[in-house]
Amino acid sequence: MTGIIDVSQLAKTYGDGTKAVKGISFNVSEGEFFGFLGPNGAGKSTTIKILTTLLRKTSGSASVAGFDVDSDGAKIRKIIGVQNQDTVVDEDLTGRENMTLQGELQQMHGQALNERVDELLKIVDLVDAADKRAGFYSGGMKKRLDLATTLVHDPKILFLDEPTTGLDPQSRAAIWAYLKRLNEQGITIFITTQYLEEVDRLCRRLAIVDLGEIVAQGTPSELKQEIGADSISLGFENSTMNGGDTRSKAKELLEKKFDGISNIVNSDIGLTVYAKNGGFLVPEIVRAFDDAKIGLSSIGVSSPTLDDVFLKHTGKRIRVEEVSSANYRGMFSRRRR
Amino acid sequence: MSFFSDSYHLFIRWMKKLVRNPILVFFSLFQPIIFLVLFTQLFSKFGSLIGPGVSYTVFATAGIVLQNAFSSAFQSGTSVVDDIKSGFLTKMLATPVNRSAILFGRILSDMFRVAVQTIIILALAYVLGVYPQTGVLGYVLVILTVGFSGLAWSGISLALGLKTKSGETVFGIAGFLTFPLLFMSTALVNPTSMPPWMQTVSSYNPISFAVNAIRSLIMPPPHCIICTNVFDWSTILQAYGVIALIGVVTLGATLYLFRKVVS
Repeated sequence: MTGIIDVSQLAKTYGDGTKAVKGISFNVSEGEFFGFLGPNGAGKSTTIKILTTLLRKTSGSASVAGFDVDSDGAKIRKIIGVQNQDTVVDEDLTGRENMTLQGELQQMHGQALNERVDELLKIVDLVDAADKRAGFYSGGMKKRLDLATTLVHDPKILFLDEPTTGLDPQSRAAIWAYLKRLNEQGITIFITTQYLEEVDRLCRRLAIVDLGEIVAQGTPSELKQEIGADSISLGFENSTMNGGDTRSKAKELLEKKFDGISNIVNSDIGLTVYAKNGGFLVPEIVRAFDDAKIGLSSIGVSSPTLDDVFLKHTGKRIRVEEVSSANYRGMFSRRRR
Repeated sequence: MSFFSDSYHLFIRWMKKLVRNPILVFFSLFQPIIFLVLFTQLFSKFGSLIGPGVSYTVFATAGIVLQNAFSSAFQSGTSVVDDIKSGFLTKMLATPVNRSAILFGRILSDMFRVAVQTIIILALAYVLGVYPQTGVLGYVLVILTVGFSGLAWSGISLALGLKTKSGETVFGIAGFLTFPLLFMSTALVNPTSMPPWMQTVSSYNPISFAVNAIRSLIMPPPHCIICTNVFDWSTILQAYGVIALIGVVTLGATLYLFRKVVS
């Protein structure tokens, strides 16, 4: 028992034999902002469901705030807030009614509940819309309301499954800013998301899962250091030269002339080169290409990002769903009653 | 006990949703009202088949108020499917809410709604000259009988909804069941005008039991001279027995399926 969330050898096999989670172990300390990342189908949502007592584990152990997820489910549910991947609000109820109902289901009532709802409406900036039905809210407002409903009972731990997916950048920034404030007030946050820059900025530690197993965990900077290389992206003026492919010519040249390059991969505009001390390498590359008459249209260096970490461990780039597709879904989905 | 307070809060939720979607009430009231106003005119000659001087409107009212319970009860299952699909059920389950209260709140709201709709239909029937011969207690018993029937039947649609998780299926099966069950009962026709095999079906049809009880409260029993305030308790108790039996079976199945969905 070291953290507020303790998971050891946790496994879940569904009825149809699918092994969604294959013996993962991790822990989250009290007050931590913990990122839980992975490609689609990696087992993130399954893990969240087990930790929030919505799903029974197959084997291993898991506890939240010292309570066992199987035997002390009721105690866990009193101190956690859970936001699902889909925005869930009752569209026939007003924003205030949605929040009040959640509070009532958390056994709150009377003046204390009303005050708490008013306070939260202010925080998530929904005071003006509080008495309008949630069905008339925009996507961003619904998401903020959904988040607020999970906070009415002042939970100790917040589980968030993709809280900002499908939102416009402004709403997204507002949610992240709000999560940061909550965390500063001492709430432990367990989050899955596809927005790696925010994870990098806010999460103190993170774990990457793939195919039901944890493939990496640590602080963002530890994980980035593991990559150990900067990436230099090269764009070429012409894709062919002297009847040959520019990329392969350039690749040949780089491999011949430079030590310390750990990897070269094709990119949309040309090549991406991974090397230590990328900054020092740039002028040399430019000179060498100039001599070889390979025309460069662009060159850029960046230190490793979590995106690179993710790519290294899962072999996939994280895919962020576009806002436009979310709007499309919203327009044609049936109105919920 | 959080069971009662949770049930109450969720009952209020359903009531608010219903009031804000009046189209739902309209749809379930539309058919009984059309039956009451038009159908009874179309078949007005049926009355004389039942007995000399019997008004078909008076006869059919018992069947029509029960039909209203029937059609509303079938919306119950679709609403639960909506909660499953939207994730609202999951959201509730992540709170300490009493599990049974989630179902009970819904069932309570179904019962209340059916009772209110029954009052509306009875008010319209009063305008048409139909009112229980058994007075105020008769009114109360009619409303209770319809309410409890609604409760028992909503169990079927809830169980279907939980089992299939498809609103379309619930609607399809409901539509498929409604008319044969209604027409092969004593709801709209006197069994003596049915072919013998249908008479047999009708006498075992649970709807007939409830309709007979309601009718005994509205219509004077045949061949009696002073017919006000005569309660046919054996018919009424039989109906409650059948309703209780159906209720135990359907709500038991619902509770079982709900536990499976919840855990």
